[in-house]
Amino acid sequence: MKPKFQMDAAAYTALMQGMNEQYFVEKKGNLLDFRLYYDDLWLADTAVVDVVHRSKGEWAVDLIFANIHNPLKFIRRYITSHPCPKRAAQKAEFMRRLAAKDQRGTLIVSIQSLEMCQN
Amino acid sequence: MYNTKQKILEASVRLFNENGIDSVRLQQIAEEVGISVGNLAYHYKNKEAIIESVYEQVFEEFDQIFRNYLAAPTLHDFDNQVTNFYHFFTRNHFYLSEFFKASLTKSPQLQQWQTYVVKMMIQLRSRIQFFVMNGLMLPATQPGQYEQLAEQIWMSLVFYIPKCNMIGQPLELAHYKKSVWNLVQPHFTSEGTSEYTSTILPQLH
Repeated sequence: MKPKFQMDAAAYTALMQGMNEQYFVEKKGNLLDFRLYYDDLWLADTAVVDVVHRSKGEWAVDLIFANIHNPLKFIRRYITSHPCPKRAAQKAEFMRRLAAKDQRGTLIVSIQSLEMCQN
Repeated sequence: MYNTKQKILEASVRLFNENGIDSVRLQQIAEEVGISVGNLAYHYKNKEAIIESVYEQVFEEFDQIFRNYLAAPTLHDFDNQVTNFYHFFTRNHFYLSEFFKASLTKSPQLQQWQTYVVKMMIQLRSRIQFFVMNGLMLPATQPGQYEQLAEQIWMSLVFYIPKCNMIGQPLELAHYKKSVWNLVQPHFTSEGTSEYTSTILPQLH
């Protein structure tokens, strides 16, 4: 007979306890929580900024999509990584140009519009 | 898919239940299915292979009952599980006689049974814990009180059917359920009692 996956009694007891608790811990979410899945029109009006940084021994390329009307509304996504920094920067440039809505880069985000407190 | 293999397994379970695993011969199984022994040998090379497949199927059924644990936080959910146990144990009671054999060495299948039985006990214990957390059952007044209750419920679930067979009593689902609920009932809170009276009690008559 093929050996089946076995869980020892202590682990199974803990699992059961977790299942018991989920009825008291987990709360039902709101429909609005799914808004970010369907309400993504704002992504059409975003400036794309590339960021190259060290991550896990490589140079990772992240892209930041920031709304041009409200720069606080942004998402950051990891795109790719490369062991060589120059190549990573080059990739970042390509990826940014590929992702940006305007290839000429007319949509910009000004640091001033963030209204950061300098104190 | 309802094929010959499935028919063979069903007939084997039926015969194992009636006569015990040891006294069933391949000839009998073939006759029960309505095929030749040669055809039977095509599907399963020997009796051990049949026994192995039968146990695999039985464990899968047992797993299915465990998977339905706490699908809903109600007494009715437990009632459903008890019903499933009833159908399961009435269909497959041949394993019990295997446990009472004189030989001390246990086959891998019987060892597997033991792990399932332990699992069943743990589930019952945590079910009681859940009812206490949910406010349907009173908190334990003595340490180990509900562990003992879980063991009693387990005994009722497993040995009710052999008991009925032994004393020649007809098997009834309502009686089976009652034997379990009567153990749990004295520990209900007022909330538990009202849920029991409205959802479970009408089914027991």
